[in-house]
Amino acid sequence: MAQEKSMAAIPEFLSKAELLKQGAEARVYRARFLGRPTIVKERFRKQYRHPLLDEKLTHRRTVQEVRSVLRCRRAGISVPVVYFVDYTSHSIFLEEIVGSSTVRDHIVSSPPSARCEGLEPLAERVGQVLARMHDEDVIHGDLTTSNMLLRCGPEDEVSELFLIDFGLSYISALPEDKGVDLYVLEKAFLSTHPHTEALFQRLLKSYAAASKKSSAVIKKLEEVRLRGRKRSMVG
Amino acid sequence: MHLTHELELFPGHKVTQMLFKEVKNAAELRQCAVEGKINGALINPTMLVNPFQVLVAANKAVNSQNNGKMKTRSLYSEIIFNLSPTNNISEAFKRFGCSDGDDSVLVVLIHNEDESQLLADLTARVSGRQVPVEEVSSLTDHAKVKKLYKVTQEEEKSGTLLDAVVCRMAAKDVM
Ligand SMILES: Nc1ncnc2c1ncn2[C@@H]1O[C@H](COP(=O)(O)OP(=O)(O)OP(=O)(O)O)[C@@H](O)[C@H]1O
Ligand SMILES: [Mg+2]
Repeated sequence: MAQEKSMAAIPEFLSKAELLKQGAEARVYRARFLGRPTIVKERFRKQYRHPLLDEKLTHRRTVQEVRSVLRCRRAGISVPVVYFVDYTSHSIFLEEIVGSSTVRDHIVSSPPSARCEGLEPLAERVGQVLARMHDEDVIHGDLTTSNMLLRCGPEDEVSELFLIDFGLSYISALPEDKGVDLYVLEKAFLSTHPHTEALFQRLLKSYAAASKKSSAVIKKLEEVRLRGRKRSMVG
Repeated sequence: MHLTHELELFPGHKVTQMLFKEVKNAAELRQCAVEGKINGALINPTMLVNPFQVLVAANKAVNSQNNGKMKTRSLYSEIIFNLSPTNNISEAFKRFGCSDGDDSVLVVLIHNEDESQLLADLTARVSGRQVPVEEVSSLTDHAKVKKLYKVTQEEEKSGTLLDAVVCRMAAKDVM
Protein backbone atom coordinates (compact mmCIF):
# COMPACT_ATOMS: atom_id res chain seq x y z
CA MET A 1 0.00 0.00 0.00
CA ALA A 2 2.58 2.50 1.13
CA GLN A 3 4.66 1.60 -1.90
CA GLU A 4 1.77 2.04 -4.31
CA LYS A 5 0.93 5.38 -2.84
CA SER A 6 4.48 6.70 -3.04
CA MET A 7 4.97 5.38 -6.57
CA ALA A 8 2.25 7.79 -7.57
CA ALA A 9 4.36 10.74 -6.42
CA ILE A 10 5.30 11.85 -9.93
CA PRO A 11 1.85 11.48 -11.57
CA GLU A 12 0.44 13.30 -8.55
CA PHE A 13 2.98 16.11 -8.98
CA LEU A 14 2.34 16.35 -12.73
CA SER A 15 -1.42 16.52 -12.25
CA LYS A 16 -0.85 19.92 -10.65
CA ALA A 17 1.74 21.12 -13.16
CA GLU A 18 1.06 23.27 -16.19
CA LEU A 19 0.57 21.14 -19.30
CA LEU A 20 2.44 22.74 -22.21
CA LYS A 21 2.00 20.13 -24.86
CA GLN A 22 0.11 16.90 -25.28
CA GLY A 23 1.93 14.95 -27.97
CA ALA A 24 1.44 11.51 -29.44
CA GLU A 25 4.07 9.91 -27.20
CA ALA A 26 4.74 12.42 -24.49
CA ARG A 27 3.26 15.15 -22.39
CA VAL A 28 5.39 18.20 -21.69
CA TYR A 29 4.80 20.12 -18.47
CA ARG A 30 6.19 23.22 -16.84
CA ALA A 31 6.72 23.19 -13.07
CA ARG A 32 9.03 24.26 -10.27
CA PHE A 33 11.37 21.51 -9.19
CA LEU A 34 14.03 21.79 -6.50
CA GLY A 35 13.26 25.49 -6.61
CA ARG A 36 14.00 25.88 -10.31
CA PRO A 37 11.88 26.43 -13.43
CA THR A 38 11.68 22.99 -14.96
CA ILE A 39 10.25 21.22 -17.99
CA VAL A 40 9.03 17.68 -17.39
CA LYS A 41 8.64 15.31 -20.30
CA GLU A 42 6.55 12.28 -19.44
CA ARG A 43 6.33 9.49 -21.99
CA PHE A 44 3.12 7.55 -21.62
CA ARG A 45 2.04 4.16 -22.82
CA LYS A 46 0.49 3.59 -26.16
CA GLN A 47 -2.59 1.43 -25.80
CA TYR A 48 -2.25 -0.26 -29.18
CA ARG A 49 1.25 -1.57 -28.51
CA HIS A 50 1.98 -4.76 -26.65
CA PRO A 51 2.65 -3.75 -23.03
CA LEU A 52 6.11 -5.32 -22.88
CA LEU A 53 7.22 -3.90 -26.19
CA ASP A 54 5.73 -0.55 -25.24
CA GLU A 55 7.61 -0.50 -21.95
CA LYS A 56 10.85 -1.35 -23.76
CA LEU A 57 10.43 1.31 -26.43
CA THR A 58 9.42 3.99 -23.99
CA HIS A 59 12.34 3.14 -21.75
CA ARG A 60 14.71 3.26 -24.69
CA ARG A 61 13.50 6.70 -25.77
CA THR A 62 14.07 8.05 -22.30
CA VAL A 63 17.55 6.54 -22.11
CA GLN A 64 18.47 7.81 -25.57
CA GLU A 65 17.35 11.29 -24.70
CA VAL A 66 19.44 11.36 -21.53
CA ARG A 67 22.55 9.94 -23.20
CA SER A 68 22.46 12.28 -26.17
CA VAL A 69 21.92 15.32 -23.98
CA LEU A 70 25.04 14.42 -22.03
CA ARG A 71 27.05 13.70 -25.16
CA CYS A 72 26.08 17.05 -26.66
CA ARG A 73 26.88 18.92 -23.48
CA ARG A 74 30.32 17.37 -23.34
CA ALA A 75 30.95 18.72 -26.82
CA GLY A 76 29.89 22.21 -25.78
CA ILE A 77 26.54 22.16 -27.60
CA SER A 78 23.80 24.02 -25.74
CA VAL A 79 21.16 21.58 -24.51
CA PRO A 80 18.97 21.81 -21.39
CA VAL A 81 20.52 20.38 -18.20
CA VAL A 82 18.98 17.08 -17.05
CA TYR A 83 18.01 17.41 -13.38
CA PHE A 84 16.36 14.09 -12.72
CA VAL A 85 15.10 11.01 -14.52
CA ASP A 86 12.49 8.56 -13.26
CA TYR A 87 12.51 5.32 -15.20
CA THR A 88 9.29 4.10 -13.57
CA SER A 89 7.08 6.88 -14.91
CA HIS A 90 9.44 7.55 -17.86
CA SER A 91 9.79 11.19 -16.91
CA ILE A 92 12.72 13.47 -17.59
CA PHE A 93 13.11 16.68 -15.61
CA LEU A 94 14.99 19.30 -17.62
CA GLU A 95 16.16 22.82 -17.13
CA GLU A 96 13.57 25.20 -18.58
CA ILE A 97 15.19 27.53 -21.10
CA VAL A 98 13.46 30.57 -19.67
CA GLY A 99 12.51 33.30 -22.10
CA SER A 100 13.09 31.16 -25.15
CA SER A 101 10.95 30.55 -28.19
CA THR A 102 11.19 27.80 -30.77
CA VAL A 103 13.07 28.58 -33.96
CA ARG A 104 9.79 27.79 -35.69
CA ASP A 105 7.91 30.56 -33.88
CA HIS A 106 10.81 32.90 -34.42
CA ILE A 107 10.72 32.37 -38.19
CA VAL A 108 6.94 32.47 -38.40
CA SER A 109 6.73 35.72 -36.47
CA SER A 110 9.37 37.54 -38.50
CA PRO A 111 7.97 39.75 -41.27
CA PRO A 112 7.97 37.96 -44.66
CA SER A 113 10.23 40.61 -46.14
CA ALA A 114 12.88 39.80 -43.55
CA ARG A 115 12.28 36.11 -43.82
CA CYS A 116 15.35 35.48 -45.85
CA GLU A 117 18.02 38.10 -45.23
CA GLY A 118 17.14 38.91 -41.64
CA LEU A 119 17.19 35.25 -40.72
CA GLU A 120 20.48 34.40 -42.35
CA PRO A 121 22.57 34.64 -39.19
CA LEU A 122 20.14 32.25 -37.49
CA ALA A 123 20.29 29.76 -40.38
CA GLU A 124 24.06 29.87 -40.23
CA ARG A 125 24.04 29.30 -36.50
CA VAL A 126 21.78 26.26 -36.91
CA GLY A 127 24.12 24.87 -39.56
CA GLN A 128 27.12 25.26 -37.26
CA VAL A 129 25.45 23.63 -34.28
CA LEU A 130 24.25 20.66 -36.35
CA ALA A 131 27.75 20.28 -37.77
CA ARG A 132 29.16 20.09 -34.26
CA MET A 133 26.49 17.58 -33.23
CA HIS A 134 27.18 15.35 -36.23
CA ASP A 135 30.92 15.57 -35.67
CA GLU A 136 30.17 14.00 -32.28
CA ASP A 137 28.26 11.25 -34.12
CA VAL A 138 24.95 12.22 -32.53
CA ILE A 139 22.06 11.73 -34.95
CA HIS A 140 19.09 13.72 -33.68
CA GLY A 141 16.40 11.70 -35.46
CA ASP A 142 13.70 14.37 -35.33
CA LEU A 143 15.19 17.63 -36.58
CA THR A 144 12.52 20.29 -36.96
CA THR A 145 12.44 23.98 -36.18
CA SER A 146 10.22 23.14 -33.18
CA ASN A 147 13.04 21.14 -31.66
CA MET A 148 15.37 24.13 -31.52
CA LEU A 149 15.03 26.90 -28.99
CA LEU A 150 16.33 30.40 -29.24
CA ARG A 151 17.03 32.34 -26.08
CA CYS A 152 17.44 35.97 -26.85
CA GLY A 153 20.26 37.51 -24.89
CA PRO A 154 20.13 41.05 -23.58
CA GLU A 155 19.84 43.72 -26.29
CA ASP A 156 22.56 43.45 -28.95
CA GLU A 157 23.89 40.21 -27.63
CA VAL A 158 23.75 37.16 -29.83
CA SER A 159 21.01 34.76 -28.87
CA GLU A 160 21.81 31.23 -27.84
CA LEU A 161 20.56 28.24 -29.81
CA PHE A 162 19.52 25.09 -27.90
CA LEU A 163 18.73 21.68 -29.32
CA ILE A 164 15.95 19.69 -27.60
CA ASP A 165 13.85 16.54 -27.97
CA PHE A 166 16.46 13.78 -28.32
CA GLY A 167 14.03 10.88 -27.87
CA LEU A 168 14.72 9.50 -31.36
CA SER A 169 18.43 10.15 -31.31
CA TYR A 170 21.21 7.62 -31.61
CA ILE A 171 24.94 7.40 -32.11
CA SER A 172 26.31 6.77 -35.60
CA ALA A 173 29.33 7.80 -37.61
CA LEU A 174 27.74 6.91 -40.95
CA PRO A 175 27.45 9.77 -43.46
CA GLU A 176 24.19 8.20 -44.62
CA ASP A 177 22.59 8.62 -41.17
CA LYS A 178 23.75 12.23 -40.98
CA GLY A 179 22.50 12.88 -44.50
CA VAL A 180 19.07 11.50 -43.61
CA ASP A 181 19.05 13.65 -40.47
CA LEU A 182 19.55 16.74 -42.66
CA TYR A 183 16.98 15.49 -45.16
CA VAL A 184 14.37 15.20 -42.41
CA LEU A 185 15.14 18.78 -41.42
CA GLU A 186 14.98 19.99 -45.00
CA LYS A 187 11.53 18.47 -45.53
CA ALA A 188 10.23 19.84 -42.24
CA PHE A 189 11.83 23.24 -42.74
CA LEU A 190 10.51 23.84 -46.25
CA SER A 191 7.02 22.62 -45.46
CA THR A 192 6.74 24.63 -42.22
CA HIS A 193 8.31 27.74 -43.75
CA PRO A 194 7.37 28.10 -47.42
CA HIS A 195 9.65 30.06 -49.75
CA THR A 196 12.74 29.63 -47.63
CA GLU A 197 14.81 27.55 -50.06
CA ALA A 198 17.54 30.18 -50.14
CA LEU A 199 17.59 30.35 -46.36
CA PHE A 200 17.93 26.58 -46.08
CA GLN A 201 20.80 26.68 -48.57
CA ARG A 202 22.57 29.10 -46.23
CA LEU A 203 22.07 26.63 -43.41
CA LEU A 204 23.60 23.80 -45.44
CA LYS A 205 26.47 25.98 -46.55
CA SER A 206 27.42 26.85 -43.02
CA TYR A 207 27.02 23.18 -42.01
CA ALA A 208 29.39 22.21 -44.82
CA ALA A 209 31.91 24.83 -43.79
CA ALA A 210 31.79 23.91 -40.10
CA SER A 211 31.80 20.12 -40.21
CA LYS A 212 35.03 18.25 -40.69
CA LYS A 213 33.28 15.40 -42.48
CA SER A 214 30.65 17.32 -44.40
CA SER A 215 31.42 16.39 -48.01
CA ALA A 216 30.38 12.73 -47.59
CA VAL A 217 27.29 13.83 -45.68
CA ILE A 218 26.16 16.35 -48.28
CA LYS A 219 26.71 13.75 -50.97
CA LYS A 220 24.47 11.33 -49.08
CA LEU A 221 21.89 14.09 -48.62
CA GLU A 222 21.77 14.53 -52.38
CA GLU A 223 21.36 10.80 -52.87
CA VAL A 224 18.56 10.63 -50.33
CA ARG A 225 16.80 13.55 -52.02
CA LEU A 226 16.93 11.72 -55.34
CA ARG A 227 15.62 8.55 -53.80
CA GLY A 228 12.82 10.52 -52.16
CA ARG A 229 11.87 12.08 -55.47
CA LYS A 230 11.94 8.75 -57.32
CA ARG A 231 9.80 7.15 -54.67
CA SER A 232 7.22 9.93 -54.89
CA MET A 233 7.17 9.61 -58.71
CA VAL A 234 6.49 5.90 -58.46
CA GLY A 235 4.06 6.07 -55.54
CA MET B 1 22.26 29.81 8.08
CA HIS B 2 20.88 26.41 7.22
CA LEU B 3 18.91 25.77 4.07
CA THR B 4 15.64 23.83 4.12
CA HIS B 5 13.80 22.82 0.99
CA GLU B 6 10.62 20.81 0.84
CA LEU B 7 10.80 18.32 -2.04
CA GLU B 8 8.13 19.19 -4.60
CA LEU B 9 7.69 15.54 -5.61
CA PHE B 10 7.37 14.33 -2.04
CA PRO B 11 5.27 16.78 -0.06
CA GLY B 12 6.18 16.64 3.62
CA HIS B 13 9.77 15.55 2.92
CA LYS B 14 12.16 18.34 3.76
CA VAL B 15 15.86 18.47 3.05
CA THR B 16 17.97 20.54 5.41
CA GLN B 17 21.61 21.39 4.75
CA MET B 18 24.05 22.79 7.29
CA LEU B 19 27.66 23.75 6.72
CA PHE B 20 30.37 23.74 9.37
CA LYS B 21 33.94 25.01 9.15
CA GLU B 22 36.87 24.61 11.54
CA VAL B 23 35.49 21.25 12.58
CA LYS B 24 37.57 19.49 15.22
CA ASN B 25 35.63 16.27 15.76
CA ALA B 26 35.02 14.86 12.28
CA ALA B 27 36.02 11.34 13.41
CA GLU B 28 33.59 11.44 16.31
CA LEU B 29 30.79 12.73 14.06
CA ARG B 30 31.41 9.95 11.62
CA GLN B 31 31.23 7.42 14.43
CA CYS B 32 27.90 8.92 15.54
CA ALA B 33 26.55 8.57 12.02
CA VAL B 34 27.65 4.94 11.87
CA GLU B 35 25.93 4.24 15.20
CA GLY B 36 22.81 6.05 14.10
CA LYS B 37 23.12 8.79 16.70
CA ILE B 38 23.26 11.25 13.86
CA ASN B 39 20.48 10.65 11.44
CA GLY B 40 21.97 12.42 8.46
CA ALA B 41 24.56 12.36 5.70
CA LEU B 42 27.99 13.82 6.42
CA ILE B 43 29.49 15.15 3.21
CA ASN B 44 32.90 16.44 2.26
CA PRO B 45 32.06 19.96 1.05
CA THR B 46 35.16 20.34 -1.13
CA MET B 47 33.45 18.05 -3.65
CA LEU B 48 30.34 20.21 -3.77
CA VAL B 49 29.79 23.06 -6.17
CA ASN B 50 26.45 24.30 -4.91
CA PRO B 51 23.67 23.29 -2.46
CA PHE B 52 21.52 22.47 -5.51
CA GLN B 53 23.79 19.48 -6.17
CA VAL B 54 22.79 18.07 -2.78
CA LEU B 55 19.10 18.65 -3.47
CA VAL B 56 19.40 16.68 -6.70
CA ALA B 57 21.04 13.78 -4.82
CA ALA B 58 18.49 13.89 -1.99
CA ASN B 59 15.47 13.97 -4.30
CA LYS B 60 16.79 10.99 -6.20
CA ALA B 61 17.45 9.12 -2.95
CA VAL B 62 13.89 9.61 -1.70
CA ASN B 63 12.54 8.53 -5.09
CA SER B 64 14.68 5.37 -5.08
CA GLN B 65 13.57 4.60 -1.56
CA ASN B 66 9.93 4.92 -2.57
CA ASN B 67 10.40 2.72 -5.61
CA GLY B 68 12.38 0.15 -3.66
CA LYS B 69 15.38 0.78 -5.91
CA MET B 70 18.02 2.01 -3.51
CA LYS B 71 21.56 0.84 -4.29
CA THR B 72 22.77 1.28 -0.71
CA ARG B 73 21.42 0.46 2.74
CA SER B 74 20.07 3.78 3.93
CA LEU B 75 18.64 7.01 2.66
CA TYR B 76 21.73 8.85 3.83
CA SER B 77 24.24 6.58 2.18
CA GLU B 78 22.08 6.77 -0.93
CA ILE B 79 22.52 10.57 -1.00
CA ILE B 80 26.29 10.16 -0.91
CA PHE B 81 26.13 7.47 -3.60
CA ASN B 82 23.98 9.72 -5.81
CA LEU B 83 26.54 12.51 -5.70
CA SER B 84 29.12 10.32 -7.36
CA PRO B 85 29.37 10.07 -11.15
CA THR B 86 30.11 6.32 -10.99
CA ASN B 87 28.28 3.28 -9.63
CA ASN B 88 31.11 2.27 -7.31
CA ILE B 89 29.80 2.59 -3.77
CA SER B 90 33.08 2.55 -1.84
CA GLU B 91 34.54 5.07 -4.27
CA ALA B 92 31.53 7.33 -3.65
CA PHE B 93 32.08 7.19 0.10
CA LYS B 94 35.77 7.89 -0.23
CA ARG B 95 35.22 10.96 -2.39
CA PHE B 96 32.00 12.43 -1.09
CA GLY B 97 31.71 11.16 2.47
CA CYS B 98 33.27 12.96 5.39
CA SER B 99 36.70 11.60 6.45
CA ASP B 100 38.20 11.52 9.93
CA GLY B 101 40.62 14.40 9.45
CA ASP B 102 38.26 16.79 7.62
CA ASP B 103 37.97 20.32 8.97
CA SER B 104 34.72 21.14 7.21
CA VAL B 105 31.53 19.15 6.82
CA LEU B 106 28.14 19.58 5.20
CA VAL B 107 25.33 17.78 6.97
CA VAL B 108 22.14 16.75 5.16
CA LEU B 109 19.00 15.77 7.02
CA ILE B 110 15.72 14.53 5.61
CA HIS B 111 12.75 15.07 7.89
CA ASN B 112 9.03 15.66 8.05
CA GLU B 113 8.60 17.82 11.07
CA ASP B 114 9.87 21.25 11.84
CA GLU B 115 13.65 21.31 11.78
CA SER B 116 14.44 23.45 14.84
CA GLN B 117 14.94 20.55 17.29
CA LEU B 118 16.97 18.53 14.79
CA LEU B 119 19.18 21.51 14.10
CA ALA B 120 19.76 22.16 17.77
CA ASP B 121 20.68 18.49 18.39
CA LEU B 122 23.11 18.47 15.55
CA THR B 123 24.78 21.79 16.26
CA ALA B 124 25.34 20.56 19.81
CA ARG B 125 27.37 17.60 18.52
CA VAL B 126 29.61 19.49 16.14
CA SER B 127 32.58 21.32 17.52
CA GLY B 128 33.01 23.77 14.71
CA ARG B 129 31.66 27.02 13.36
CA GLN B 130 28.41 27.01 11.43
CA VAL B 131 28.43 29.19 8.31
CA PRO B 132 25.78 29.88 5.66
CA VAL B 133 25.30 26.85 3.37
CA GLU B 134 25.88 29.04 0.31
CA GLU B 135 29.51 29.35 1.41
CA VAL B 136 30.03 25.81 0.19
CA SER B 137 30.98 27.35 -3.14
CA SER B 138 34.04 28.93 -1.56
CA LEU B 139 35.25 25.52 -0.34
CA THR B 140 34.93 23.75 -3.71
CA ASP B 141 38.07 22.06 -4.98
CA HIS B 142 37.44 22.88 -8.64
CA ALA B 143 40.33 20.86 -10.02
CA LYS B 144 39.23 17.73 -8.17
CA VAL B 145 35.60 18.15 -9.13
CA LYS B 146 36.43 18.60 -12.81
CA LYS B 147 38.68 15.58 -12.79
CA LEU B 148 36.27 13.28 -10.99
CA TYR B 149 33.25 14.21 -13.11
CA LYS B 150 35.42 14.34 -16.26
CA VAL B 151 34.24 17.81 -17.24
CA THR B 152 35.56 18.84 -20.65
CA GLN B 153 36.91 22.27 -21.57
CA GLU B 154 34.36 22.57 -24.35
CA GLU B 155 31.62 22.02 -21.84
CA GLU B 156 32.87 24.69 -19.51
CA LYS B 157 32.67 27.25 -22.28
CA SER B 158 28.96 26.69 -22.82
CA GLY B 159 27.69 25.90 -19.34
CA THR B 160 28.52 26.14 -15.65
CA LEU B 161 30.40 23.55 -13.62
CA LEU B 162 27.20 22.95 -11.65
CA ASP B 163 25.32 22.14 -14.88
CA ALA B 164 28.00 19.63 -15.85
CA VAL B 165 27.98 17.95 -12.44
CA VAL B 166 24.19 17.73 -12.15
CA CYS B 167 23.86 16.25 -15.64
CA ARG B 168 26.30 13.48 -14.80
CA MET B 169 24.57 12.70 -11.53
CA ALA B 170 21.20 12.50 -13.26
CA ALA B 171 22.48 10.39 -16.15
CA LYS B 172 24.73 7.96 -14.33
CA ASP B 173 22.27 5.05 -14.38
CA VAL B 174 22.43 4.88 -18.15
CA MET B 175 26.09 5.63 -18.76
N1 LIG C 1 13.91 22.78 -21.89
C1 LIG C 1 12.89 23.48 -22.41
N2 LIG C 1 12.77 24.80 -22.16
C2 LIG C 1 11.74 25.51 -22.66
N3 LIG C 1 10.80 24.98 -23.45
C3 LIG C 1 10.86 23.68 -23.75
C4 LIG C 1 11.91 22.85 -23.25
N4 LIG C 1 11.72 21.59 -23.68
C5 LIG C 1 10.60 21.62 -24.42
N5 LIG C 1 10.08 22.86 -24.48
C6 LIG C 1 8.84 23.26 -25.20
O1 LIG C 1 7.96 22.16 -25.30
C7 LIG C 1 7.79 21.75 -26.66
C8 LIG C 1 7.75 20.24 -26.79
O2 LIG C 1 8.94 19.66 -26.26
P1 LIG C 1 9.63 18.40 -26.96
O3 LIG C 1 9.96 18.75 -28.37
O4 LIG C 1 10.74 17.96 -26.11
O5 LIG C 1 8.48 17.30 -26.88
P2 LIG C 1 7.63 16.59 -28.02
O6 LIG C 1 7.84 17.20 -29.34
O7 LIG C 1 6.24 16.43 -27.52
O8 LIG C 1 8.28 15.19 -27.94
P3 LIG C 1 8.18 13.99 -28.95
O9 LIG C 1 8.59 14.55 -30.28
O10 LIG C 1 9.15 13.00 -28.38
O11 LIG C 1 6.76 13.54 -28.93
C9 LIG C 1 8.96 22.40 -27.41
O12 LIG C 1 8.68 22.62 -28.78
C10 LIG C 1 9.18 23.67 -26.63
O13 LIG C 1 8.27 24.67 -27.04
MG1 LIG D 1 9.39 18.19 -30.31
